[in-house]
Amino acid sequence: MEIEIISFGKIAEFMANRRLTVDGIETTAQLKDLLEKEFPALADIKYKLAVNKTIIQETAELKSGDIVAFMPPFSGG
Amino acid sequence: MNEKKIKNIFVSGPITPAFIADSIAKHSAKTDIGGHSIFMGQVRKDELNGKFVAAIEYTTFEEIALAKMHEIREAIFEKYPLNCMHVHHSLGTIKAGEICLFVFTSSAHRKPAIDACTEIVERLKAELPIWGKELFEDETHQWKENK
Repeated sequence: MEIEIISFGKIAEFMANRRLTVDGIETTAQLKDLLEKEFPALADIKYKLAVNKTIIQETAELKSGDIVAFMPPFSGG
Repeated sequence: MNEKKIKNIFVSGPITPAFIADSIAKHSAKTDIGGHSIFMGQVRKDELNGKFVAAIEYTTFEEIALAKMHEIREAIFEKYPLNCMHVHHSLGTIKAGEICLFVFTSSAHRKPAIDACTEIVERLKAELPIWGKELFEDETHQWKENK
């Protein structure tokens, strides 16, 4: 299936927005494992995920066409 | 005054003293207000190993940030007897010394205005997907972390 990855802040410096075609990935936890292997710097950051513009607190199931956002700690204000 | 429409809090560039003054002036017609509280965030010229922060470049995930701010706005109006609430946050490059956040609450009496203003600032910093990139004078950078 196809997943669109968007990233922000310092994550965007090493992991550009991309469209991934992945097999055997069904949850956000599996997607995190996959990307943390490809981008070891990601594993050092306490990031949050949003699926289709909603921040998720726990692992969520993914379906083809989902947009997953990788967001480092917020620093507004 | 419970706004249902999602408001855009973002402004491109710094928030000017003139904008803030004008915002205050607009409230003179609302004579049931007895107290205002204002918070302004200013870009600090922090030092790191002899280098100084020249500016902060702000970016956001706008749709999530605005939806989250809408949620906070509704919760604050529910919790405090406010006459009005205004929130403005900068995007783009804001130089040290310039204003990047303006929160303005008004109520019949001081306490709700002060408490609501504080709570909005705390929640905004913790919950809105906004990122500040601290740009040093030598063009290196580091990512801001909220304390």
